[in-house]
Amino acid sequence: MEGLASLGISLPTLLAQLVNFVLLFALLYLFAYKPIMKMLDERSRKVKESLEQTEYIKEQAAHAEEEAKRRIEAASKEGQEVIARAVRTGEEVRQQSQQEARQEAESLIIRARLEIQRERDEAIDELRQEVADLTILAAGKVIDRSLDKEAHRQLIDKTLEESTTLRKS
Amino acid sequence: MPKKGRSGSKKPFIILGILVILALFLVGFASGPLGQKIFGDIGLPGWLSVPQPRPELPAEVIFHLFGLPITNSVIATWLTIIVLVGFSYAVSRRVRLIPRRWQALLEFILGALLDFCQRVAGEHNGRRFFPMVATIFLFVAFNAWLSLLPGFGSILVDTHEGEVHLLRAANTDINTPLAVALMSFLSVAFFGFRSLGPAYIKKFVNIGQFLSGLRHLSRGRLGAGLNGLFLGVINLFIGLVEALSELVRIVSFTLRLFGNMTAGEILLLMATFLVPFLFALPFYWLELLVGFVQALIFGGLTLIFLTVAVTSHEHEEEAA
Repeated sequence: MEGLASLGISLPTLLAQLVNFVLLFALLYLFAYKPIMKMLDERSRKVKESLEQTEYIKEQAAHAEEEAKRRIEAASKEGQEVIARAVRTGEEVRQQSQQEARQEAESLIIRARLEIQRERDEAIDELRQEVADLTILAAGKVIDRSLDKEAHRQLIDKTLEESTTLRKS
Repeated sequence: MPKKGRSGSKKPFIILGILVILALFLVGFASGPLGQKIFGDIGLPGWLSVPQPRPELPAEVIFHLFGLPITNSVIATWLTIIVLVGFSYAVSRRVRLIPRRWQALLEFILGALLDFCQRVAGEHNGRRFFPMVATIFLFVAFNAWLSLLPGFGSILVDTHEGEVHLLRAANTDINTPLAVALMSFLSVAFFGFRSLGPAYIKKFVNIGQFLSGLRHLSRGRLGAGLNGLFLGVINLFIGLVEALSELVRIVSFTLRLFGNMTAGEILLLMATFLVPFLFALPFYWLELLVGFVQALIFGGLTLIFLTVAVTSHEHEEEAA
C-alpha cells in the first residue's frame, strides 16, 4: 500500500473522480448526446423524406408529361377528324347547291319553253285571225259574187272549224 | 504606387520579427540553466529564470469538503466538466434543424465519434456504446487540452501543505485514469452481461465441464470422467486468464494514460525550465496531439472491448 500511496492512489480522490465521471456522463447524455442524436436522426429522416418526395415529384412530373402528350395527341386526332368532317360537309353542301342550281336552271328552261310555246300559240292565233281575215277578204275578192251570203258564212265557219282542229292537234 | 510602398515596408517587419524571436530565444537560453552553464552568469535579471520543477506524483489537496480531501486534479476535472457541459448546454438549449456554427461543431464532434463507434461495433451496438465511448474520449481529450491553456498551471494557492497549484491536469493524478478505467471496465461488464446474460459470467467461471466430469466419475465412468475433469480444469484456467486479462486491462488503461499525461506535463515543465522562452512551443503541439491520441486510444479500446464483450462466444465454441 505504501507504493500505491507514493504513486498517488487515494480512495477519496478515486471516489470523487468516479462520481465526477458519472456526473459528466449523465450531464453530457442529457445535454449533448440525446438532443444531438435526436437532431441528427431527425435531419437524416428529413433528408430521406425530401429525397423520397423529390423522387415522387419527378415521377409525378413524368406522369403529367405523358398525360399531356397523350392529350395533345388525342386532341390533334380529334381536330383532324373535325377537319375531315368539315371537308366532307363542304363537299356535300357544294354538291347539293350544284344540284339545286341545275334544277333551277332546268325549271327556268322549262318555264322559258312554256313561255315560248305560249307566245308561239298566241302568234299562231293572231296569225290565224289574220289569215282568216285575209282569206275571207281574198276569197271574197276572188269569188265575189259567186258566193252568197249564206255560203260565205258556211265557209268561214268551216275554215274556223278546221283551224281549231289544227290548233288542237 | 502605395502598393509597392506597402510591400516594401513588409520586409523590415519580417526581419524585425525574426530578430525579436531570436533575441527572445537567446535571452531565454542564456537565462536558463543550460546557458548559465555555458556562458556563466551574465547579469540577467533573476525573474527571467524558471525554478526547477519538482513534480510530485500524488495530487495536492487544496481544501476539504465534508471531510473529503479535494485535490487540484479534482478541481481541474470540475473545470473540464463545466467546459464540456456548459458548451453542450449552450448549444443544445436550442437545437435547430439547420445548425448554427457552434451546433455544427458539436454535431461534427459527436457525429464523428458516432460514426467511429458504428464502424467498429456495427449499426445498432455502435449506437448503444456511443455515449460511454464519447464521454471517455471527450473527458480525456479535454482534460489534456485544457491543461495546456496558458495560466492553467500557474495559479498558486496557499494551503497548509504550502504553496500548491490550484489546477493540475486531471489525468496526471493516477486516481483519474483509474476512475475512467474502472468505468470502462464496468461498462464492458454491464453491456456484456446485458447482451449475453449468464453466458457472460460463464466466460470467466466456466465450471460446467468440470462438474459434468465429476458426475461421470461418480457414476463410475472413469474414462469420460477423467477426460471431463481434464477439460474442466483447462476451462477453469482459461476463465481465470480471461478474468485476469480483464483486470490487467484496467491497470494498462490506467498506467498508459497516467504515464503519458504525466510525462507530457514534466516534459513541458522541463522544456520551460531549460529555456524559458519559445523552446517549449513544439512540445505544446506534441502534447495537443498526445491528448488527442490518448483519448482516441482510451475510447477506441473501450469500444473494442465492448464489442468483444457483446459478441457471443457460443458460435466460436460450436465451430471449434
